[in-house]
Amino acid sequence: MSANNKAIVIPCSGIGKVFGSVGREATYIVVDELRPGTAETLCLSLLVMGDQETVERVRGVPCIAVDGCPKACAQKNIELAGGVSAASLRVVDTYKAHRELKPEGVTVLDESGRKLARFLAQEIASAVDRVVAGR
Amino acid sequence: MPDIPRKKVGIVSCSGEEIPEGTISRIATRLVLEKLRPEDTVTICLPLFLAGGQEERAFARFYPTIAVDGCPKLCAKHGTERYSGQVTDVIVVSELLNGQEIKPGWRRSLDGQGMRLAEKVAEAIAGRVDSILKATHKEVKPDLIPVTIQDKAPLSWPAQEHCYRCMARGLPVMRIDVGGVTVGLAGLAAILEQAYALGKKPNQVTKNQLLETVKVYNYIPAGAQAEYAEALLREYAALCRRKER
Repeated sequence: MSANNKAIVIPCSGIGKVFGSVGREATYIVVDELRPGTAETLCLSLLVMGDQETVERVRGVPCIAVDGCPKACAQKNIELAGGVSAASLRVVDTYKAHRELKPEGVTVLDESGRKLARFLAQEIASAVDRVVAGR
Repeated sequence: MPDIPRKKVGIVSCSGEEIPEGTISRIATRLVLEKLRPEDTVTICLPLFLAGGQEERAFARFYPTIAVDGCPKLCAKHGTERYSGQVTDVIVVSELLNGQEIKPGWRRSLDGQGMRLAEKVAEAIAGRVDSILKATHKEVKPDLIPVTIQDKAPLSWPAQEHCYRCMARGLPVMRIDVGGVTVGLAGLAAILEQAYALGKKPNQVTKNQLLETVKVYNYIPAGAQAEYAEALLREYAALCRRKER
């Protein structure tokens, strides 16, 4: 079991592509609805900035990266900050399993995007459970 | 006729996943990119400055950049300046919307009221974009070498993706020696070709015109402009000699 029974889910900021929006929406589903007691999120920008308080948070709690593109900004920035990426999920992998849900609308996700985010959120929630249980 | 992409303004938003002002920042940025100034703006994901390569880190040196920050921690401004280059302007959403009700639930998604505030922020960003482009054009107009400008980079990328990497793929960068240091200047080859096509002589007047034109597409440090001007004239003179052989 992790030190304080929590995991931090960190989505990439994903401002330019719809998969970034899907990853962020999925993260909110997990921290607000599916695992509000064991999952939290933080601003990735604060990690980029090297904000001391945020860096200490990621070093003390296992992190789950959710990335929208192959650049893997979330995973790389967690590692650059000295944190442990206990699990790494890619939106594209969920999309490959649900190709009927082609997301659109970077500013506001469409229905397909929101459905895809629900599937991804289930995967993130499972990862949270594994990480918190120490498996 | 040499072509180089239209001058654009970069917008870097904080990711702001933890606070509603971060969501307003991101959505306002997208509104500018998609609706208000789609032909004049590009963006990049802030974390790419660390996760990406030199191409990403050149963003703020190539584009005059507006940082859009959700809170006074100014991650977008400081992150951009630490890893890429000086920002031209900053908008802090929490200050711009000071006194307005901000609902905690907007962290995840904006309702109608939240969207109206995002639109207000987007209009503020668009206003700054206009000011930057106007100042840029006014500043260089007297000495500008007219270069054919394309509305879009010559790419097969989707037009709706106004992200930096899409634009950067089409940028012709030429490396020259400036004071013993090799630097890459976007659009330089096209600018030199255009100057030659206009019959400009490699003299002091042309030197200043070259510098002013290159400044439209590149950040040139104020203290190094004389060195850049000399290097540009040297390259232009070399091009003229090659052409006239």
